[in-house]
Formats: sequence, C-alpha cells, structure tokens
Amino acid sequence: MMMEAIAFYMLAGFLIFFSYKVISVPNPLHSALYLVLTMLGLASAFFNLGAQFIAGVQVIVYAGAVMVLFVMVLMLFDLKTEIRSFSRGLISGALKVMSAALIAGLALGGARSSVTVLDAPAGAAVPGDVTRQLGILLYTKYLFAFEILGILLLAVAVGVVAVSRMKGGTHARH
Amino acid sequence: MLDTEALMRIGLGHYIALSGIIFSFGMIAVMMRKNVIVMLMGVELMLNAVNLSFVAFAKEAGNLNGHIMVFFVMTIAAAEAGVGLALAVAIYKKFHEVNIRFFEQLKG
Repeated sequence: MMMEAIAFYMLAGFLIFFSYKVISVPNPLHSALYLVLTMLGLASAFFNLGAQFIAGVQVIVYAGAVMVLFVMVLMLFDLKTEIRSFSRGLISGALKVMSAALIAGLALGGARSSVTVLDAPAGAAVPGDVTRQLGILLYTKYLFAFEILGILLLAVAVGVVAVSRMKGGTHARH
Repeated sequence: MLDTEALMRIGLGHYIALSGIIFSFGMIAVMMRKNVIVMLMGVELMLNAVNLSFVAFAKEAGNLNGHIMVFFVMTIAAAEAGVGLALAVAIYKKFHEVNIRFFEQLKG
C-alpha cells in the first residue's frame, strides 16, 4: 500500500513536471522531447492500471511514430528558439490560464468526491489475459468500428499526401 | 483538513486528478502558444490525459470497453497529427514560418 502510493506520487510528479516543461520551454524541439518523456510516463501509468497492451501501443505509436513525425517536421522547418512564443495580452492570458485552471479544478473536485479504491472486481480479467480478451472484443463486438477506422486511415493518408503536394501552399491559384 | 488515509490509498480519484491536471496543461498550450506545432502537441497532451482517465475507469468498471476506446482514440490521434502537420507544411511553404497569426490570411 505504502510503496504503491510512493510509486504513484513519483510518477505523478514526473508527469506534471514534464508536461509543464512541454508548454513552457521556448524551443519547439525541446517541447517535443519533453512530450516523449510525458508519453513514456503515461505508458507506465497504463501499465500500473493493468493495461499492458495499451502501454505497449502507447510506446510504439505515440513515443515512436507520432513523435518522430513531429520531430521530423520540426527539423524540416529548421525553427530556431522563438523570440515571442507565447500569445500577447496579460489579461487575455490570465483569462486563458484561469479557464484551464477551472477545468482542472472541476476534475479535481470530481475526483475528490469519488474516492474509491481500485479493487479488481470478481469478474475482472487476470493480468496475463488482457491482450487476448482485448483482441477477441476488437474482432467481435467492435468489428464494424474497427473496419470504419481502417477506411478513415486510408482517407487520411490520401488527404495528407494531397494537402502536402499542393503547389504554392495555401495560396495556390487554380 | 487532508485525510492521510485517503491520500495513501491510491484509487480512481487520484488518476482522474492527474488526468485533469495534464488536460489543463494541454489546454494552456493550445490557447497560449503561437507555434502551430506546439499547439498540436497540446492537443496530443489532452488526448493522452483523456486516455489515462479511460483506462482508470476501465479498471474501476472491470471490463475492457475503455481499453477499446483508448485504442480508437490513439488511431484518431495519429491521423490527426498527420493532417495537422501536413497543413503546417502547407502554411510553411507560403510564409516560411509556422505561426498562428498567419492563419488569418488563409484564402480558400
């Protein structure tokens, strides 16, 4: 119990620190690298919650593929550290931070009013079996959604190639 | 008055609180940064926070429907990152910078 609490608070501090660094460092490349660390921390949080397959997919898809895409595009642009990387306006900035803090406060209030302990129910999946059950569920109950997702990915792949090949960027004349 | 017992017993509430804090950081990134790519990173941060709460609720409920939803959200997020970065490349070709203030000059 005690070790679990210490591990959770260390993980939470790690995640909050690195996600704060993502939004506060002026260099976009450093933001991307801190985001990789945040993704890896979230993968270990998923592992703690008994979602081994999701943790693996998080590492492969997010920390691997998506962040490589981000870093590659940043390298392509050759962006230096920006002089003014935050939006101007003290009052509007304060309002933006306050609205985000309101969202966080709502979540914290909801969390405080629902202090239950994560005990595994009687019918829960045993740890080694989660991936098998996930696969069975994905190919039976959610088969239609899975196929639709494949079609969506095909459309997105074609659309991305079409958008990035537009001559003259967004101001192309036809 | 903080209850030490409730703080030490790690439960659903702790994970939801962590998820809410990370979500608000992503929201601040989208609203306050000027670089389009960092704004997309903020969107990724928000989607990841929601994934964390999905997995925590799936453990609470004792079934795997939340895991399926996380799987779908990850696929959509990868597609969204691809489209967003393609748009950023298209903006960069014209203006040689990826700053949100150029988005007011888009035509068609």
